[in-house]
Amino acid sequence: MTINHIPLGVFGISHRTAPVEIRDLVALNEQEQKTAITSILKSFGVEGVMIISTCNRTEVFISKEDPKSVIPPIRKWFNDFKKSSYFLDDHLIYEIYGIEAARHYFRVINGMDSLIVGETQIAGQVRDGYELAHELEGTDSLLNKLFNFAMQAKKRVRNETFLCDGTVSISFAGVELARKIFSDLREKEILVIGAGKTADLAAFHFMENEMKNIHVVNRTYQKARDLADMYHGQAYELKDLPVALKNADVVISATSSETFVVTPGMMENIAKARNHRPIFLIDLAIPRDIDPRIQEIDGVFLYNLDDLNEIVEMNLKKREKELPKSQKIVDEYLLEFQKWYANNSMASIAGRLKKQLDTLRMNEIARLKNHFSNEGLNDINLLTESIINKVVRQHMKTLKKNSGDPERYQQHVDLIYSLFELEKD
Amino acid sequence: MKLFSQILSYALPLLYLGVIYFYYLIFTGKDKRLLNKTTGLLIGLLFIHAVEIISRLVALNAIPLSTTHDAFSFLAFSILFVYMILELSLKNKGSGLFILSFAFIFELVSSFNVSWTLETNPLLKDPSFAIHASVSIMGYTALALSALYALMYILQNRNIKKRNLGKLFMQLPAISYLEKMSARSVFIGIILLGIGILQGHLEAYDVMGSFWQNDIKVIVIDTIWIIYLIGYSASRLMRWRGIYMAYFSIFGFLVLILGGSMVIYVSESFHSFY
Repeated sequence: MTINHIPLGVFGISHRTAPVEIRDLVALNEQEQKTAITSILKSFGVEGVMIISTCNRTEVFISKEDPKSVIPPIRKWFNDFKKSSYFLDDHLIYEIYGIEAARHYFRVINGMDSLIVGETQIAGQVRDGYELAHELEGTDSLLNKLFNFAMQAKKRVRNETFLCDGTVSISFAGVELARKIFSDLREKEILVIGAGKTADLAAFHFMENEMKNIHVVNRTYQKARDLADMYHGQAYELKDLPVALKNADVVISATSSETFVVTPGMMENIAKARNHRPIFLIDLAIPRDIDPRIQEIDGVFLYNLDDLNEIVEMNLKKREKELPKSQKIVDEYLLEFQKWYANNSMASIAGRLKKQLDTLRMNEIARLKNHFSNEGLNDINLLTESIINKVVRQHMKTLKKNSGDPERYQQHVDLIYSLFELEKD
Repeated sequence: MKLFSQILSYALPLLYLGVIYFYYLIFTGKDKRLLNKTTGLLIGLLFIHAVEIISRLVALNAIPLSTTHDAFSFLAFSILFVYMILELSLKNKGSGLFILSFAFIFELVSSFNVSWTLETNPLLKDPSFAIHASVSIMGYTALALSALYALMYILQNRNIKKRNLGKLFMQLPAISYLEKMSARSVFIGIILLGIGILQGHLEAYDVMGSFWQNDIKVIVIDTIWIIYLIGYSASRLMRWRGIYMAYFSIFGFLVLILGGSMVIYVSESFHSFY
C-alpha cells in the first residue's frame, strides 16, 4: 500500500514569489526560529515543525494529521511575530501539502529550487534548520525520515549528476580558468592592478584558493600598500608595472583608468623577457584596462568580464540540463519515503495493529461463542474491543514518545511488527 | 593454446574499442556514474592483454617480441599500463580518450600482423634480445605519450586562447601539466630508447662480432634517436616555448612511427640483416 496522503504541509516565501527586500523582512534568525518552533509546538498542537530560512527563502514545514487546519493560524502567528503583513499575502506565500510538500523539501535540499540551480550551500542551511528543530524536540518521526531520505537523495544527485558541478560565480570562473592554465596555483604569483573594491574582492578569491604571493600596483602607492598589507604582499608604483608583470602568473586588472594600462607593445616585451611562459590576465575594468590585442601574443591568455560571464552562463545551462536526471533520483527517494510512511507511520501502525488484534479477537469469539449467551457475547465483545483499543493506544503513546529519536522509533516499530506478526507492504 | 591466443589477438582491438567508447561517454559527460568505473575496466583490459602476451609466449615457446605483431601489441600494452598509472595518480580521466585511441591504433596494426613464424636470426633468438626489445618498446611508449601530451597541449592552448570552453576544454588537463608531462616523457623516451639501442648494438657485437649491422631499421631508428637527442638538448639549452616543444614532440614521433612502419613493411622481418 503506497499512500498519497502524507500529513505534511509547508508554507513559505521564496525568490520565486517575492523580491529580496521582502525576503529580507520575513527571514528568521536563529533566535527567532527557536521562538517560532517552541511557540508553534506549544500553541497549535502540531506533531513537528521545521524551518528553513535563508536569504532566498523562508519556509515552515508542519507535520500534523490535517495540516490545512493549522497553517492559516500559524501564518497569522508569523505575521504578528514578524510585525508584517506578508505572511497573510496569498500572492507572496505559497502552501503545499502532502506528498508535494515532501517533493518540495527534496528539491530544496538538492538546490533544484534555488535561484542558482544546483547551489550546494542550501543543503547545509536545510541541515541547520533540521538540527535546530530536532534540538528543540520539534521533529517527529515523519520529519526525521523526510530529512533522512532527502539527504540520501542529495548524496546520489551529487554523485550521479552534474547538477552541482562547474562554477557559477564570476570570481570562481577566473580561478577555475587559472587552474586550467597552471594546474597548481600554490606557488604562482598574482598581480593586482588597482586597489579598489573589485580588485580587492577578486584578489580575495584567488588568495582563498591557495595562492600565496600577491603583488599590487596602483597609481596611488599608499592604496597599493594598504591592499598588499592585507595579504602580506608587495606594493609597486604604476611605473613599475612592467617589472611586476614580468614575474606575475595571474594578473587581475580593475582600475578606473580611461586608457589601456597594459598595451600590446608593453606585453610583447614582457612576453619575450618571460620566454613566453604562460600569463593569465583578467580584465575586470569598465572601460577595459588591457588592450585585447595582447591576446595574439604567444603565452598570453586574456579574459574580460564578458568572457567570465559566458563561462558562468554556460555552466548554468549545463546544470539546468541535469535537472530531469536529478528529478528522477528525487522521485525514487520520494517513492521510498512514501513506502516508509505506508509501513511505519503511527497512523499506519495503529491501523494494522488494530486490524490484526481484531482478527485474533473475532477468531476467539467465534471459537467460544457456543459457551456464552448472546448477552454474554455482547459484553465480551465490548470488553475485548476496549482492551484492544487500550493496547493499541499504549503502543501509540510509546511510539509518540520515541518519535524524536529515529533509531528508537524504528526499533519499536520493528518490535510491533515482529511481536504481532504484522505484514509489511 | 595457439587458437586461444589467436582469438585473444583478434578480440583485443574490439575490447580496446569498447573501453574507448566508455571514455567517449565520460568525455561527453553523459553519465557521471561512469567516472567511478574506469579503474576496473582498465585493469580488466590490461589483464586480458597480459594473458594474450603470455599465451603467445607459451604457444611459441619464445619471448614474443620480435615480430611486428608482438612489437605493436607490447607498445599498446605499455601505453595502456602507463595511462592507468597516470589516471590513478592524477585522478584525471579526460585524456583517456586520446591516449587509449592511440593504443587502439597500435593494437589494430598488431592484430593485422599476427604471425606464428619463429625468428631464425640468431641475434633475435638471443634471450637478452627480450631486454633490448622491451626497453626499446618502453622508450617508444614514452615518446608516443609525449606526442599525445603535446597534442593535448596544443588543443588546450588553443581552447583557452580562442575561448572555446566546451567539453574538450573541460576534460583536458591544465596546459602547464600537459607541457611538463610531454617534456618528461620525451626525456624518459630518449633515455630508454638510448639504452635499448645501445644494448642492441652490444648484442649484435656479441653474436655477430660487429657493433654495426646494415639493418635499415637500425639505421633509421639510430638516426631518429640522434635527432631526438639533438632536438631535446637544443630545447633545453635554448629554452624553447611550450608550443615549439609540443610541435617538436609530435613531429619527432610521426617521423619515428612512419619511418619505423615503412622499414617494417619494406623488410621481411622486424629486423633484417644483410
